[in-house]
Amino acid sequence: MDIKFTKWIKSRQGQKWIIVFTFLLIPLLLLIVFTYLPFAKMIQFSFYQMGYLGKREFVGIDNYVQVFTRPDYFATFKVSIYYFIGAFIQMTLALYFASILSFKMKGRNVFKGILFLPYLINGVAIGFIFLYFFKRMGTLDSLLTLIGVPIEQIPYWLKNRDINNISLSFVSVWRYMGINLIMFIGAIQSINGELYEASEIDGANEWQQFRHIILPSIKTVVSLNLILAVKGAISVFEIPYIMTNGSNGTTTFVIQTIVTAFKYKKVGLASAMAVVLLVLILLITAIQEYCFKDKEARQ
Amino acid sequence: MKKISKYIFTLLKYVSLILASLVAIVPLVVVFFASFKTPIEFRDSGVLDFPNHFTHLENYIRAFTDGNMLLGFLNTMIILIISMIGTILTGTMTAYVLNRFEFKARKIVKSAFMIATLVPAVTMQVTCYQIMNSLQLINTRTSVILLFIGTDIIAIYIFIQFLENISMSLDESAIVDGASYFTVFFKIIMPLLRPAIITVVIIKGVNIYNDFYTPFLYMTSRKLVVISTSLFNFQGPYGTQWQVICAGIIITVIPTLILFLFFQKYIYSGLTQGAVKE
Amino acid sequence: MKKKLASVLSLMLLIMSCAGCNSGGNNKGVETLSNVSSDIKAELTVFTNRTDLIDTVFKDYIIEFNKLYPNVKIEYEAMTNYEEDMTIRLTTDNWGDICMIPKTVSTNELPNYFVSFGKVEALESEYNFITEKASGGEVYGMPWSCNAQGIVYNKKVFEAAGITKIPSTPQEFLEAMKKIKDNTDAIPYYTNYAAGWPLSAWEDYAYGGATGDANYRNNVLVKADNPFSEGKPHYIVYKLMYDLANQGLIEEDPTTTDWEACKGMLGRGEIGAMALGSWAVVQMQEQADSPDDIGYMPFPVTVGGKQYATASADYCMGINSKSSKEDIAASRLYVDWLIKKSGFAQSQGGISVLKADALPATLQDFADANVELIANAPATAENEGLFDKINDASEVGLTSNEQKARIIEAAIGAVNESFNDIMNDWNSKWASAQKSEGVK
Repeated sequence: MDIKFTKWIKSRQGQKWIIVFTFLLIPLLLLIVFTYLPFAKMIQFSFYQMGYLGKREFVGIDNYVQVFTRPDYFATFKVSIYYFIGAFIQMTLALYFASILSFKMKGRNVFKGILFLPYLINGVAIGFIFLYFFKRMGTLDSLLTLIGVPIEQIPYWLKNRDINNISLSFVSVWRYMGINLIMFIGAIQSINGELYEASEIDGANEWQQFRHIILPSIKTVVSLNLILAVKGAISVFEIPYIMTNGSNGTTTFVIQTIVTAFKYKKVGLASAMAVVLLVLILLITAIQEYCFKDKEARQ
Repeated sequence: MKKISKYIFTLLKYVSLILASLVAIVPLVVVFFASFKTPIEFRDSGVLDFPNHFTHLENYIRAFTDGNMLLGFLNTMIILIISMIGTILTGTMTAYVLNRFEFKARKIVKSAFMIATLVPAVTMQVTCYQIMNSLQLINTRTSVILLFIGTDIIAIYIFIQFLENISMSLDESAIVDGASYFTVFFKIIMPLLRPAIITVVIIKGVNIYNDFYTPFLYMTSRKLVVISTSLFNFQGPYGTQWQVICAGIIITVIPTLILFLFFQKYIYSGLTQGAVKE
Repeated sequence: MKKKLASVLSLMLLIMSCAGCNSGGNNKGVETLSNVSSDIKAELTVFTNRTDLIDTVFKDYIIEFNKLYPNVKIEYEAMTNYEEDMTIRLTTDNWGDICMIPKTVSTNELPNYFVSFGKVEALESEYNFITEKASGGEVYGMPWSCNAQGIVYNKKVFEAAGITKIPSTPQEFLEAMKKIKDNTDAIPYYTNYAAGWPLSAWEDYAYGGATGDANYRNNVLVKADNPFSEGKPHYIVYKLMYDLANQGLIEEDPTTTDWEACKGMLGRGEIGAMALGSWAVVQMQEQADSPDDIGYMPFPVTVGGKQYATASADYCMGINSKSSKEDIAASRLYVDWLIKKSGFAQSQGGISVLKADALPATLQDFADANVELIANAPATAENEGLFDKINDASEVGLTSNEQKARIIEAAIGAVNESFNDIMNDWNSKWASAQKSEGVK
């Protein structure tokens, strides 16, 4: 038995098991302790009517019924559409700039630095920068009047409900484009340079190179970013929270969850909302994955 | 004909880059200018007006001392370095196993990491705090370090992306030569992942550097202030003036900007000569 | 000599803090206090929302306190998202020793977290506002600075606009604001809408201020039918908020108001008035051209020919009932010291917790106008915890800002909703919560 076991360990198969086990042990442990355990606990909470302390009352699926039957809660998902569109623009821009900046050109590092700069700014600073950006005769208005737009024709960027969510998703694009850019540039670096040389010999132009070499090779990172963009849009939180506190029609589902949990102390209901949110994200991700795969299969 | 279209293409490239750079930079210029203004100047001048003196450093001195930024930098550095090493190790190890080995639970493990990333973390503050508390880690740097290391699909995916483009034949020839998987990983794979590691260091590093929700909740002790929370000393119902906050913003941005400029040299180097030539 | 003085002082403190001991009953915090000596050893963690003071004022407090009790180590921890983060901390037992009790703790839950300072009857002869965090006749939170709720204004702007008499009704206030709009360049009323929290401050006006009835919040409102209908206190108060915004007497874009800048704007006469607690007066004066320009008036409502103002404690301090005996004893000493010796209330322009102390200078105008300060009376045994329960269950959120923002949004036409629509919505939400909590 013992000899058999040592032999197995020394075998390739045994080595494989050892490395899989040791390499995954710590990451999985962290994953379980700090994500799945709290999440399981939250699922448990979602079946109770409870505050932070004091009596808990088991209420079955009552909280879930509430989440689905309250139009004011679900309406907040409409706001996500703005961020969703914003995320698409952000990805397109990032892809475009990443493919330009991956090749030799003058001032490449300067441009990379500048485009990445907004991502370096922390939340408090964002609040200040865009308060002064969107304010009457703030940065944006000053620039517009400078190029000759009369002040009467400039809208109130945050007050006007028709455009305030667009203003906020602009902030989101401004802030996060840089991170996509760096991820894409990083991924493009992993492509074997010989492929370009070969394609250049074949007389391919830049677009063809992008379409047939770059895009297929960085598929993993692009699809991840797509998934994260969708998740980000559905669970958008930080930008509207910092900028407007979710007031004036900019509340999102996550802000609503936080308000429910902390302002109304409905921990059970808020937990149910969080669970519903995750299920929704998973559902959309699954659909997205399915479409992605389908398209690939067809090609 | 072809030459003209090439020129136009180059021109368009630069125009778009310059435009995008302006959009990125203009909102920030306001902060930079404001940080040099006196209170009266700040209130009387337009947001895009130059400050009277770029030598007016009082705001910087106040932000640095009142915001306790020296201690903040120290704590942030400790947390950053340990979390980065942790993230890179766990991230590369996980990516290596997921990319190179076939085993039954592979799909499950991969989805487990994916789903974890999709959980909106803000909604789990209460339960996560309770777990951290039962581990007796509240008010320790370990608490935030563990949270920063744990479950980062972005890092894992970036590493997988690179591994996909590193030929399996490299591993195999080493194995044939008698190397163990551990040797293959640390001696062959890790060095080749350098551009990916730097990408992760930049993205994740900035993320950790700027995150204030986690330290706010888990490290309220005075001795554990970090740089991202120091700005809040000047904000809120009892807050002071924006010029000081602006100076604080500039102080916090400068180190990340310098590090970024320093590191980015190492990401792009590979392209033309082929990053993963044998 | 010094030591002697210290022990005399500590003895005095002991006697004082024991005002509540006799009737404190079987409370472990009180038991240990009777044999506390000046060399008591303890390590205390104190949580505060005042991120701005931990390096300055509070540091000095620790030094002063340690002269009396050198072996009590005190560590302050300040939080920016105070309400949220402190609430999360409270879900665990070992959060620390002293905290500012967050609003999220319902009155009836207080005994689960905090040590009793003694019976209400025993303490009320000496202290103001102790019923704020009282439950079952016991005091669980000690206030250390209190505020009157009124309106801070610029006297020069009022003068320039031709306002000769301080308005005492909503109608007069609107007229005064119109005068400012017509006769000066100042913004008549500044909402601070974007910051959020200044809007929730309006709620206090609807209690003692608009009724003259100390029982209104905890005993009347909770039982009332349609408490938000026309003519009721909340309606009167929030109608003024609505009218100000609706008649264009506020800043042109509320969504980009700037709290940091508004202090200087009021001080320079670019703003006429703002509704804020009396704590704000000192801060406004600091940034004014001349501190004398800043005035403080009661909220413009008159009840039966008399004006009232709600007065309430700022955050109250609570002591962790799960701390060790020594830590609880030392915490009691420190809380007592803060209330009696620190001079905190005075430095903040707040009303002292000690009945013996005079009103602060900031409220001199109140005294001159014969305004009566009214503190909310605690709930009767029957109504214990009811306000919090109904307020949470209904999601009207009287203590927070979301619904007040809604009023301003309706007033500026951002959303198609009338003031009465909002009040009717509150009424129906309130009624159904009353039902689910078993009031009706």
